[in-house]
Amino acid sequence: MFSRVSAVAAIAMMAAVPLAPAMASELRVGFTLDALTLDPANHRNRQTETILRNIYDGLLTRDAKMKVVPELAESWTQVDPLTYDFRIRQGVKFHDGSTMTADDIVFTFERLTKDGAMGGQTSPRKDLVGPVESITKVDANTVRFKLKEPWPILPAMLPVQEVVSKAFTEKVGSQGLATQTNGNGPFKLVEWRKGDAIILERFDDYYGGSPDIAPVGKACVDRVIFRIIPENASRVAALLAGEADIIAELPPYDMKKVEANANTKVMTVNGTRSFFVALNNAKKPFDDPRVRRAANMAVNKALIIDKILLGTAVPLNGVLSPDAFGFNPDLPAYAFDIAAAKALLAEAGYPDGLDVTLDTDGAFKDMAEAVAAMLTKIGIRTKVVVGEGSTIRAKWAPGGEKKGDMFFNSWGNGSLDPADIFVPTLRTGDRGNTAFYSNKEVDALLDAANVELDQVKRADLYKKAQVLVNKDAPWIFLWLPQDIYGVSKRVTGWEPSADSRINLHDACVK
Amino acid sequence: MTAVPNDAAIVRERIESPTGQSLRRFLADRFSAAAMGIVLLFVLLAVFAPFIAPHDPYETDLFRRLQPPAWMEGGEWSFVLGCDGLGRDILSRIIYGARVSITIGLAVVMIATVIGIVLGLAAGYLRGWVDIVISRIVDILLGFPYLIFAIALMAMMGPGLKNIILALVLKEWVVPARVVRGEVLAAREMEYVEAARAVGAPRRYIMFREILPNILSPVIVVSTIRMAHVIILEASLSFLGIGVQPPTASWGSMVADGRAFVLDAWWVSTFPGLAILALVLSINVASQGLRDAFDPKFSD
Amino acid sequence: MKPLALLGRTLQLVPVLLGVSVIVFVMMLLTPGDPVEIMLADQQATPQQVETMRHDMGLDRPALERFGVFLGNAATGNFGLSFFHRRPVFDVIAERLPATIELTLAALLLALVIAIPLGVIAAIKKNSLVDRLAAVGSLFGISLPGFWFGIILIILFAVHLKILPVAGRMDFACEVAPVTYLLTIDSLLRGRPDCFTNALSHLVLPALTLALPMAAVLTRVQRTAMIEVLRSDYITFAEAKGLSRRRILWRHALKNALVPTVTVAAIETGSLLGGNMVVETVFGWPGLGRLVVESIFVRNYPLVQAAVLFYAVTYVLLNFVADILYTVLNPRVKL
Repeated sequence: MFSRVSAVAAIAMMAAVPLAPAMASELRVGFTLDALTLDPANHRNRQTETILRNIYDGLLTRDAKMKVVPELAESWTQVDPLTYDFRIRQGVKFHDGSTMTADDIVFTFERLTKDGAMGGQTSPRKDLVGPVESITKVDANTVRFKLKEPWPILPAMLPVQEVVSKAFTEKVGSQGLATQTNGNGPFKLVEWRKGDAIILERFDDYYGGSPDIAPVGKACVDRVIFRIIPENASRVAALLAGEADIIAELPPYDMKKVEANANTKVMTVNGTRSFFVALNNAKKPFDDPRVRRAANMAVNKALIIDKILLGTAVPLNGVLSPDAFGFNPDLPAYAFDIAAAKALLAEAGYPDGLDVTLDTDGAFKDMAEAVAAMLTKIGIRTKVVVGEGSTIRAKWAPGGEKKGDMFFNSWGNGSLDPADIFVPTLRTGDRGNTAFYSNKEVDALLDAANVELDQVKRADLYKKAQVLVNKDAPWIFLWLPQDIYGVSKRVTGWEPSADSRINLHDACVK
Repeated sequence: MTAVPNDAAIVRERIESPTGQSLRRFLADRFSAAAMGIVLLFVLLAVFAPFIAPHDPYETDLFRRLQPPAWMEGGEWSFVLGCDGLGRDILSRIIYGARVSITIGLAVVMIATVIGIVLGLAAGYLRGWVDIVISRIVDILLGFPYLIFAIALMAMMGPGLKNIILALVLKEWVVPARVVRGEVLAAREMEYVEAARAVGAPRRYIMFREILPNILSPVIVVSTIRMAHVIILEASLSFLGIGVQPPTASWGSMVADGRAFVLDAWWVSTFPGLAILALVLSINVASQGLRDAFDPKFSD
Repeated sequence: MKPLALLGRTLQLVPVLLGVSVIVFVMMLLTPGDPVEIMLADQQATPQQVETMRHDMGLDRPALERFGVFLGNAATGNFGLSFFHRRPVFDVIAERLPATIELTLAALLLALVIAIPLGVIAAIKKNSLVDRLAAVGSLFGISLPGFWFGIILIILFAVHLKILPVAGRMDFACEVAPVTYLLTIDSLLRGRPDCFTNALSHLVLPALTLALPMAAVLTRVQRTAMIEVLRSDYITFAEAKGLSRRRILWRHALKNALVPTVTVAAIETGSLLGGNMVVETVFGWPGLGRLVVESIFVRNYPLVQAAVLFYAVTYVLLNFVADILYTVLNPRVKL
């Protein structure tokens, strides 16, 4: 007994020794991918955004419940369907000590929306700001966005844009902004060790962040390190060894281990990525809704969620996350029923079953294989074909040859607004419509929702469209996985966010 | 220069009797013979996989997910080596996986050797612009890292068994081609070749009937060694996710699948890797035996 | 080395690099998948956005023109912008290169340290137990699939024994301002021996995984060379002169027997460098190999082009170095 205690003590001491006793509090995040660039306007990459969002703030942001709230803006008003006014917060400092003005806001958004505004290049984020006509300074404290056409999701999309300093950007140029920062966020850049780590330290003149998200004030920790560890096993090991305080994308399989460890815990939040199997609605056999419904009945979602995802996902009966705007909670579920599925398949003219292929990216191979095994049981004999993401994407492009049978697919919806997932994946011919689904009624509802300014009416339009899609079953509806984080128990004040950002302003370490 | 028939007789003697001797020498080396036996065992496993494998290698059973090997707690003897992340029997998958490795290894090396022999002979014997063109292509292909070349080709052609074989062949032929060219350059100055040329034998006849049989044994030795390399390369491609299609088991992709569970379900990666090691090691031992038998000057 | 031979070698590079460029370009042209679609991934994007991005990347221009522009720029050392990073390809590669170089050098060093003594002893004590073990060992070495062996090493040393880290180049606690960007060397230069050990402990497993197959080959080369040297006349002569056996072995014989080993090592370093991606993947090593594989997947053409050119240049240069080493170390060969 005694020896066991001393062994534990020895291990505890060993764990403490290799890390040089840090005077300053330091929080380390084990992250999956390095930032591609440090220029907030020159990427379309979630991981890059997650890192940058700790250095830069946006006009607006989201609280823990995903509600859009002011950040660098003090408030905003919609003057008419095409005009938004933003009141700029006073006394916001950039990391170099200069004061942010309305000019910086105008500059930032012109850089995002004007062709060739980034040293000859156009921002790849341009269309995330919507159909902007002009951005003007009304007075020292007000900036006005004028749109070409109504676009009700503008406020929902603004949290993904970060505000840069006009003077600094003009000094270092767009090339310079790729590796240097002069942000206005809670942390400033110390060093970017590319491919390895991004080291940040607290910005002491921080204005405090959004007043709607307590606590307001300087960041809690002195330093933050985003350490890039793409390998899952390594990330988990780093957490268990106490080298990392927060790790992103904890594999479900390793949750038990993290829970069992005395110093770590698992934190989850509903993600924003809907998984589904796109069925080729334009071609036999899946042009027949009965076959599509049979496929939906064949898949035992509950079992896969239970055994492979270990309970970390919500089953879906449609396209939207339960947290999304306009989610319809009353959609009927396709219950798992082998006999009924077989009967339906026979009714559709396939009493002896049929042979099809299921395309998937290597990352989802095991889940695709599990789904395929279940489909095979009712007579939809499914062969899984693992391809490279880009090859499959080309094969399933809405403008392509439409030759595939099934595609194990997913779509992220960081804004949690249907405009960002429902429209692209299910509107006739839209760019993510990999099922080649076309229903005029659905199109009409989606188009109407896109310009509807009354939010209650808009939600209602989406709810109606969901009922139609559920009945047509253009996909095998699968699930919405949770984002899983492994967190050290010495971290307080931090909650995972549904938009998969890791905001560290409020996080403290003991 | 003596009469032709006489020389031809000498040539014949040179081909036949040393080969017989070499084979005898090879079989006498018990170590190599045993390795050859293991290779044959793998071939039998591959051919008769449906009769040998205890379970359907594709049958998933999520209730057996990551079941440990028989001798561990929670294991059972009907699933000796345990189950993978979808509850499939690892032993059965390894037995079926032998098909992939052996098919690809054999196909790639055989096709590449044939191409290499033809181009190597042409370059080495015809010289001139033929040699320059072939040698330049060889130089260019040598500048590519093997895996990057294969991955880029697979990205272009898409996945599948035939495409992996093609991707590997397109780079692999360089190896036998260089060996053959080197041997031909040496052989073309030999007496028996000059003799054949002197009597006006056609070029094709000299290349394929006179030179080829005499340089074949080093080529075969190199090819067997390369087969071991090719099997590892295929496994590496599968490991990187660019291999044969599921649910077909490939040893490389099985190791890759197990990597997610490396912290405690060690068996998922370990056993298929051991299978690669066993097969490749046996081929290497056997080919070393072959080399010693055919080329005694190396055998100290 | 005559300057003329040097010039000849340099000129030989040109057709190789041109051929490599053409092959990569044609492969990329025939490969399905659109880099713009991949960059936008599953975010809603307007057709105009797709159009402008394609224009920015120059993808709207005819293939031949694109290839011409690439060649013209590459000749002046400008490889364009990485599609995915939207920063100069040169910078992106340069950021990843030190990790790969450090790993490759460590593996090379390790392979030499294992192979040379082992090969020499095996040669001196031919057919002894050591010789047999070395032979079996090198057979194992060339038969090991690196990706699997790396995982086994992780299971053993990092998961069970917990004496070495699972992945990465250095711990959080160590922050060393870069000088050479090789972390082991930098931590020494900055007077941080603790960080040096730390970096070294991260380096051991991947370097070992990479080194073993090479060590296996080099051991054989070393052994054969040593046996041949020991048989040669001047060793017999030295023995006759009454020089001590130790002196003969380590001063005279080894010096000559090292030539083939060093030559082969230089050539093999090329394949070591180009074969890194598997080990980098297993150990989460932030090197060039993985970047290139990822770049193929996301159709980041400019980066793949430049990286393959880099590999081809190093391959040719290393062969060149091997030739020079062979001449310099071996007084009997004149080039």
